[in-house]
Amino acid sequence: MLDEALIEQLNRGYVCPPDAGPAWRAACDYGFDMSLVEDALTQTPEQRLEEHQRALDRALMLNPNINSDAAE
Amino acid sequence: MPQSDKALLTRLNEHGVEFVIIGGVCGVLHGVPLVTFDLDVCCPFSPGNLRRIEAAVKDLHPYHRLTPGKLPLEFSDNLVARLKNLYLQTDLGKLDCLSEVKGIGDYHDVFNSSELHNTSHGKFHMLSLDALIAAKEAVGRARDLTAVKLLRAIKERKEGS
Repeated sequence: MLDEALIEQLNRGYVCPPDAGPAWRAACDYGFDMSLVEDALTQTPEQRLEEHQRALDRALMLNPNINSDAAE
Repeated sequence: MPQSDKALLTRLNEHGVEFVIIGGVCGVLHGVPLVTFDLDVCCPFSPGNLRRIEAAVKDLHPYHRLTPGKLPLEFSDNLVARLKNLYLQTDLGKLDCLSEVKGIGDYHDVFNSSELHNTSHGKFHMLSLDALIAAKEAVGRARDLTAVKLLRAIKERKEGS
């Protein structure tokens, strides 16, 4: 059943959990998509490095000049 | 120019380089979802360790990427004795080697503030979460302070779980 509450939930995106601590809430309020952090925290450091490599490759494919020293 | 942090780390390990992962990649390893375009490590700038770094990258056309003439990486005894940092471009990407980390100290201090991680491609020391926060706060650039917001959230979540 697609009631209004579910549609609202689907459209809303990440919602900071009510029991989030002050640092988590501050990061949410800053505008970070903390679902990305939640996903990362379910991974091992090695998996995070591989995910980062994929993101890096995507970024470099979209904008090869982003890796110049001037862009750092 | 590609950037393969895993391949660079594997090479450093295979050549017996002493190093600790710092900077953005260290943040990634802790769970920060921000893309970074170089690999920063802290290492002792002893002649032996510098020679091992040289051996690890020598077939990757390394050069000092921040020098105007893109000076190739060639160590003389005089240079080895005076270097404090190396900012290299290689065929596998950027590799920055620092002898000190602001907010932490020299390699000895950094090593003592690190933790060991086992991966399928070797064992690596990386700055602990607390040390990385201290380092980024000490540098204080906007992008470092942005990462600190995420690092503090991760620390809070880990301590709460």
